[in-house]
Amino acid sequence: MTSLGYQSVDFHRPKPALKGLDAIVDGWAGICRRRGRLLAAIQQQAEEIDALAPALQHLSDRHLQERLFEYREAFRRGNRERMNAVLLPAIAALREAADRQVGMRPFLVQLMGALALQRGCLAEMSTGEGKTLTASLVAVLWAWTRKPCHIITVNDYLVQRDAEWFGPLYRFCGIHAGFVTGAMPPDERRKAYGCDVTYATSKEVAADFLRDCLQVGLLRNPTRRLIRKLLQPELESQRPLVMRGLHGAIVDEADSILIDEAVTPLIISARQKNDILREAVQAAREIADSLRPPHDYTVSHRFREVEFTPEGTTRLESLCLPLPGIWRGPDRRVELAKQALVAREFYRLGKQYIVADGRVVIVDEFTGRPMPQRTWREGMHQAIEAKEGLEITDPNETIARISFQRYFRLYYRLAGMTGTAREAAGEFWHIYRLPVLGIPPHRPCIRTQYPDRMHPTDEAKWDAVLDEIVRVHSIGQPVLVGTRSVAASEILAARIAACGLEFKLLNAVRHQEEATIVAMAGERGRITIATNMAGRGTDIRLGHGVAQLGGLHVIATERHESRRVDRQLFGRSARQGDPGSAVAILSVQDEILRRFLPRPLHQQVCRAVSSCLPGAQWMARAALSAAQRNAQRAAAKLRRNVLRIDDWMDQSLSFGGSETGDMRMSAD
Amino acid sequence: MAEASATFSESWYRVANLRISLRSSVAARRQTFRGERWIVLQNPLRNQYFRLRPAAYEFVARLRPDRTVEEVWKECLDRSPDDTPGQEAVIQLLAQLYHANLLQYDFPADAAQLFNRYQKARQRELQSRLLNIMFARFPLLDPDAFLARTLPWVGKLISLWGALIWLVVVGAGLKVVADHFPALRNQAQGIIDPGNLILLYAGLVLLKSAHEFGHAYFCRRFGGEVHAMGILLMVFTPIPYMDATSAWGFRERWKRVLVGAAGMIVELFFAAIAALVWANTGQGTLHGLAYNMMFIASVSTILFNLNPLLRFDGYYILSDLVGIPNLSQRANAQLRHAAERRLFGLKKEPPPAQTWSEAFWLSAYGIASGIYRIIVFGGILLIVADRFLLIGILMAAACAAAWVARPVIRLAGYLASSPKLERHRLRACFVTAILVLGTLGFLQFVPLPHHFRAPGILRSLEWGQVHNWTAGTVTRLVAQPGQLVEAGAPLLEMANRELDLEIMRVRAHRDEIRARQRQALQEAIPNLKPLESLLDAADQALRKLEADKAGLTVRATQTGIWVGRDLEMLAGSWLAKGAPLGLLVNPSGFRFEAIVRQEDVDRLFTQEFPGAEVRLHGQSGQVLQVSELEIIPGDRRNLPSAALGWLAGGPVATSPNDPDGTEAAEPFFEVHAKVLEPASAVLLHGRAGKIRFDLPGEPLLPLWIRSLRQLLQQRYQL
Repeated sequence: MTSLGYQSVDFHRPKPALKGLDAIVDGWAGICRRRGRLLAAIQQQAEEIDALAPALQHLSDRHLQERLFEYREAFRRGNRERMNAVLLPAIAALREAADRQVGMRPFLVQLMGALALQRGCLAEMSTGEGKTLTASLVAVLWAWTRKPCHIITVNDYLVQRDAEWFGPLYRFCGIHAGFVTGAMPPDERRKAYGCDVTYATSKEVAADFLRDCLQVGLLRNPTRRLIRKLLQPELESQRPLVMRGLHGAIVDEADSILIDEAVTPLIISARQKNDILREAVQAAREIADSLRPPHDYTVSHRFREVEFTPEGTTRLESLCLPLPGIWRGPDRRVELAKQALVAREFYRLGKQYIVADGRVVIVDEFTGRPMPQRTWREGMHQAIEAKEGLEITDPNETIARISFQRYFRLYYRLAGMTGTAREAAGEFWHIYRLPVLGIPPHRPCIRTQYPDRMHPTDEAKWDAVLDEIVRVHSIGQPVLVGTRSVAASEILAARIAACGLEFKLLNAVRHQEEATIVAMAGERGRITIATNMAGRGTDIRLGHGVAQLGGLHVIATERHESRRVDRQLFGRSARQGDPGSAVAILSVQDEILRRFLPRPLHQQVCRAVSSCLPGAQWMARAALSAAQRNAQRAAAKLRRNVLRIDDWMDQSLSFGGSETGDMRMSAD
Repeated sequence: MAEASATFSESWYRVANLRISLRSSVAARRQTFRGERWIVLQNPLRNQYFRLRPAAYEFVARLRPDRTVEEVWKECLDRSPDDTPGQEAVIQLLAQLYHANLLQYDFPADAAQLFNRYQKARQRELQSRLLNIMFARFPLLDPDAFLARTLPWVGKLISLWGALIWLVVVGAGLKVVADHFPALRNQAQGIIDPGNLILLYAGLVLLKSAHEFGHAYFCRRFGGEVHAMGILLMVFTPIPYMDATSAWGFRERWKRVLVGAAGMIVELFFAAIAALVWANTGQGTLHGLAYNMMFIASVSTILFNLNPLLRFDGYYILSDLVGIPNLSQRANAQLRHAAERRLFGLKKEPPPAQTWSEAFWLSAYGIASGIYRIIVFGGILLIVADRFLLIGILMAAACAAAWVARPVIRLAGYLASSPKLERHRLRACFVTAILVLGTLGFLQFVPLPHHFRAPGILRSLEWGQVHNWTAGTVTRLVAQPGQLVEAGAPLLEMANRELDLEIMRVRAHRDEIRARQRQALQEAIPNLKPLESLLDAADQALRKLEADKAGLTVRATQTGIWVGRDLEMLAGSWLAKGAPLGLLVNPSGFRFEAIVRQEDVDRLFTQEFPGAEVRLHGQSGQVLQVSELEIIPGDRRNLPSAALGWLAGGPVATSPNDPDGTEAAEPFFEVHAKVLEPASAVLLHGRAGKIRFDLPGEPLLPLWIRSLRQLLQQRYQL
């Protein structure tokens, strides 16, 4: 960095989430923020900006840039009144600049989105409406205030693409833009974070933040650090910090990052040799092999846990007799054995994990992507390695850890965009103080949504899916089939192959060509099978003549726990005013119904559907939405609890230095 | 936080590399509770305590600034793989130690966090003060230096010799009290006279100061420190208090118990001295003060201090004696656990009690203290509200908040979001709803037989006073008392010389008139007329006198048993006219005349004939059946017998202005009930007793609401 000034690297310290009555009242306040006149006001402002356009069109590039620099001065000074005064003309000028530099002219709805982001809202914009462009407009405004601005996207590919795509616009506006991808060395990272606008994935920013925190270590007080540096220069082996503090972040696909992955912790870890654990999991697997349900233990699929029966406990005791010390205590023994049983009963090859190169690789249940970096918590990963008979790796010793939920609460200024946010509006407000604002689509959506079809068994469901594919394929309409797991996609692929149809399979195992395959899914006569979220963020353009056939037809084969994810899948068709249709073909045996409906109710539904009673379909759909509601509520509660426990830890262990404690420091 | 049993924790890294230790000033002592060993850590600076299991202490004690938590944990794990707390447990343990200010760490604490904590603690303090408005504490000064300086003198008393002196003085006091018990009881009636209140309060402050210094000196004597002294607002009455909690750190149980009992020991000592003073002084301020001190010492000791059901000295003594610290919380936890286990089906939760006997004691204590608390506080509330309406209402509001609103809100919160109930929520809500609805429904709809009692008096259906209608000297008792006499039978004979003479005189006078009549017949006819009227007058007088003479023989006016009083003594004595001689009571039928309060009477009016039964004082075992009830419409004030009034020791309040004691303070209704002749019992006219009206079933809730409204109406004219 060039400046040697005393630059403070800091971040927002969020208040703990409210509880009880406060939370309820606060929830109402959030609803008030979302409703009301905000949207109308934004629309009016957007129209005002639109009205400014003709005057700018005749300006030469130089004059336009001069104007932009004038506005930049207003923002630099940080005077709120002046900023507000020039906000609309500044956006109008930016729009013109974007048109000239990148060749994309923001629509009215994108201007509205930009205004919403500028106000710190979460803008709900349909996919394909140009969220990336919207974000770049706001990023310029935020960068002009001389505070670093991070734009968070879902993967490294998009990071690089977007940063390069909008580079000309940023340069034209007088700001530097950089990007951070996984493979970058620290020096380059520092350079990228030194830019006014930095594109990165959530994983990268959180990891860099954690590494910085570790760097700063115990001496968080800047003055103390300075003194230490003066007194003992020889001890100063510290690498300089990478980041410049958490000021503003614009999160693309906010629901996936802020909600779905909210509690996924980002962990900085080191492998630690732990022979005790390795031996223990091996022994545990051997013990587990000789235990059988329901005699020795009972399995609760609903709560994903196993419980020993009295016979099982005595058996376990006798099995443990020849084993070393760690097996002697009854509690620890049961804990270890249970872990092995859980690994056997609930973790399935192909669903929760795959085995690649002799290693267990976790598969993200949401995206269906393999996550080679991720490991399960202490012991479980090893238990699964033991189950698969692989070589047992040493466990990772956590050095620092932060969940995305906590991380994004640390930004002073947070805004987000996504296609589907409505369902989680309460949570966005409660945890991130983000009011959700629904921006209307540029062109009205003309998707035909068929009602869900319920089948009594999985077998019947797959038959129906196949029939549907064949039917649609025969007209030449492209079909996209979404499956929930990798295993399901393989089942379907086998069936289609048996019919002799040509198709593209997109799942965790073949993720390299993901984006290209998805992008081609709109071609005439194309059959694509994909896990639910594969290739998210990639536009599916319709092939020639497909629009006349009815556009892309999407088939969902299983409802997801979160309604948002369903909507995302359906949202793949009928983009930007194109025609399209979507249908869900389901079975009453689907996991969501089994797990989230009370058992008696579920049995009733099954009976009704299999005997084709009148109204059974309707009843099953009602049961399904009830199950989804239950699932969403349970998940939201889990996230709230994680936050609460994090807060508790921060308070109770603050003698250890809160890991996100006060980090003001001088950076050079 | 959820219970921590896991060996490994995801959050371990947060503590793994810390170098921390217990503060050097922290003292650790070993204590035994119910046969289990515990370590009590004491932070002398803030007088905070923390109780640990030995296994946890093993770990904590090994923490040193030159080793990391992880190293220490591994070392512990090597030494005793099974006892060592898991990582989760270690994290929680450290958090708790940190909250108790027992940890020492080598880098600056997070100031904002500390400040937050302080503010939260303040908030909680204020909250608990508001909720415990009846016993709010305000610490003022630190008496430790004073205690330390005076201990050499006072401390000598806390010894065997002191105990002997105490025994002698208290013994003497007890003897005095026993000797003067009636006088003592008499004086008790005036204890809450407004004139006595100042003395009462002075006595209270003196005695409670002595009490608190007792705790403090005992504590200091055994090596504890006393750092807070202040004012406790007990039911808005400021009295001193001291904080002798450092005694909890004592290793020997008897010392802890003795410090707990010290207040009462000293109090009783002073009460005994006061008793001696009281007995040996005449009326005056000193006498009054001494009396009040005795009164307070006995009442407060029995009702509050010694009683373990409230959280005063007795509670701590008991909890030490049975070896269950935090008895009250654990009793509540035990009750909750029982409810969770039996009603909500939470089978996996570990019970707070380790043994059956402990579970029994905890449950029994929880239930008993709950009931007792409601009774005591309800009583205090009523007394206070009686005197100061506004304060009473405020207190009632505070109590309602603390004991009704808060538990209800907590229960709702618990049902809605307790992670413990995660899998049983449906059942828990269902069971709770059923219980609540069931209770309400039971109270509202199930009619329960109920009854009320009224005092009254037994009377014969036919009875009459016997009077003599003529004055005279009793000569002979014709009928013996207790004998059944027919109507008209002579009861008593009297003689009256004057009457006899008067009769003779009137007769002579009549004879004279007759003679003059005859004379006039011959001599002067016109005089005849007036003479005739004179004769008439004389005749009349004679007839009257003869009737009077006949009246000298007192006859029964009706058939009945002749009940005279002291008739044998009357022979030869003079009775003025109209003296009551006794009663004639017809034993063939009796009725019970009951005094029914206004609040109760409408229940009788509105119902069909309720069942009723009478029990007489002195023969309660004998139940008299009643055949018909007659309610005298219209209220009355005059009691049928003085025996029912306060003046004669009866149950009905009488008007203070009435010297006879027959005028009731409040109007009442009279209800007559015909008593069926029992086979065996003897019914005696005029016997007092109680009648029990068995009303037809009525649900409880409407009944309670009515009672409450009546109470409010009567007491506060609302």
